[in-house]
Amino acid sequence: MVHMCTVTPISLTVGANRIIPTIAIPYPLGDPKLTKEEEKVLRRKLVEKALKALETEVDGQTVFED
Amino acid sequence: MHLELGNIFINDVQFGSQTKVENKTLYVNKEELITLISEDEHLKSVDVELAKPGESIRITPVKDVIEPRVKVAGSGGIFPGVLTKVDTVGAGRTHVLKGAAVVTTGKVVGFQEGIIDMTGTGAEYTPFSKLNNVVLICQPVDDIKPHDHERALRMAGLKAAEYFGKAGKDIEPDEVLSFETLPLLKSIEKYPKLPKVAYVQMLQSQGLLHDTYVYGVDAKQTLPTLIKPTELMDGAIISGNCVSACDKNTTYHHLNNPIVQDLFKQHGKEINFVGVIITNENVFLADKQRSSNWTADLAEYLGVEGVVVSQEGFGNPDTDLIMNCKKIEEKGIKTVIVTDEYAGRNGASQSLADADPKADAVVTGGNANEVIKLPPMEKIIGDLSIVNTIAGGFDGSVQKDGSLVVELQTITGATNELGFNKLTAKGF
Repeated sequence: MVHMCTVTPISLTVGANRIIPTIAIPYPLGDPKLTKEEEKVLRRKLVEKALKALETEVDGQTVFED
Repeated sequence: MHLELGNIFINDVQFGSQTKVENKTLYVNKEELITLISEDEHLKSVDVELAKPGESIRITPVKDVIEPRVKVAGSGGIFPGVLTKVDTVGAGRTHVLKGAAVVTTGKVVGFQEGIIDMTGTGAEYTPFSKLNNVVLICQPVDDIKPHDHERALRMAGLKAAEYFGKAGKDIEPDEVLSFETLPLLKSIEKYPKLPKVAYVQMLQSQGLLHDTYVYGVDAKQTLPTLIKPTELMDGAIISGNCVSACDKNTTYHHLNNPIVQDLFKQHGKEINFVGVIITNENVFLADKQRSSNWTADLAEYLGVEGVVVSQEGFGNPDTDLIMNCKKIEEKGIKTVIVTDEYAGRNGASQSLADADPKADAVVTGGNANEVIKLPPMEKIIGDLSIVNTIAGGFDGSVQKDGSLVVELQTITGATNELGFNKLTAKGF
């Protein structure tokens, strides 16, 4: 499982194994300051990162920083 | 910095031909007040009602509760940077109409939140049932933008509180309390043997109408800073939020912060209360990290031995709370945190969204998910139909006879995280 979330400390507290940091609490996978095109790129990047994390073997709780 | 608070006790509120304070009664010239509040072009209609302790009245939704105050001596005015110029407040003399409050209701932005019952079970859970309340019912113009609507209601309450405060300007107070904060080095010199203690006040700043203002600045755009506790007593911090009303600080709470009051009571006796650090609760992780780093650094720089940290709200601010606690503890400073709990209706769930073994001294305001039944009231000020959709309400909350079955979180101030409430627990 991958947990995508903004407040990674909570994700760690609740016991997620693979954690992807996201943008902000009101808009985890988007950013209203970007244009629609830029936002699509951002979303795709985050989803791809999550899929990659799913394929990665982990040894305990891991936050996938850039 | 030295401030005298002159409390003028108010035991009753009545409509009258002139707004004035006489024989511990606040008289309200309704027409004059409505004219003043109606000046805001964002408001379509304004009405005024009175709600006194023991009356069969339910006020809902509640936007803010504000205590009338006025500066009598010293620089600045009440609510600096918002109603008056940004002069520094917190010194001189301020008069308070103690026992009176302005409550704002009418349609609020977003979820319609907050209940104040003036009698019955609900009255026991909110401190505002014990006050002589002047209730402003403000309806916004059609098609108003949410932020303009929130601001119009916020300003209406503050303006009314300032208006009533002025009625106490030339009245001899029933008691005068004195508060002093010395420059840090002088304070340490004065009480060299007492442990130095600071207060860290976390301010709700999640945005989306969850905001707090410091000298008029939106707290989410600030960095942690020092403020003198007497500045809070003159309205340097005001509330811009009311969602999940049980643990949001109204402006009344900020003016009467019980942690500040209690620290002052022990100042010079058991502790040396050196000051207040204010910080925020933003929605970006980097902001949370930056603000908690900064807060811990300020505590270390002050050289304190102990810190009391109060939270505002719940959910992701639990992380700000734990970060503050952990980072301050790592500096070798003892912390006590003040929070409340969302432990489920049976109280068996984890109370906070975040946790750490360093948070080993915790004061709780109570479990906001606790279900309570409130009896019907003869008079509703505001709009009762909204109770089905507020946080802590649910479909069927409003019973046929007008009684309510709701979670404690619907009641304004019920689990306040400054400890401004009376909930206690007993072990058996």
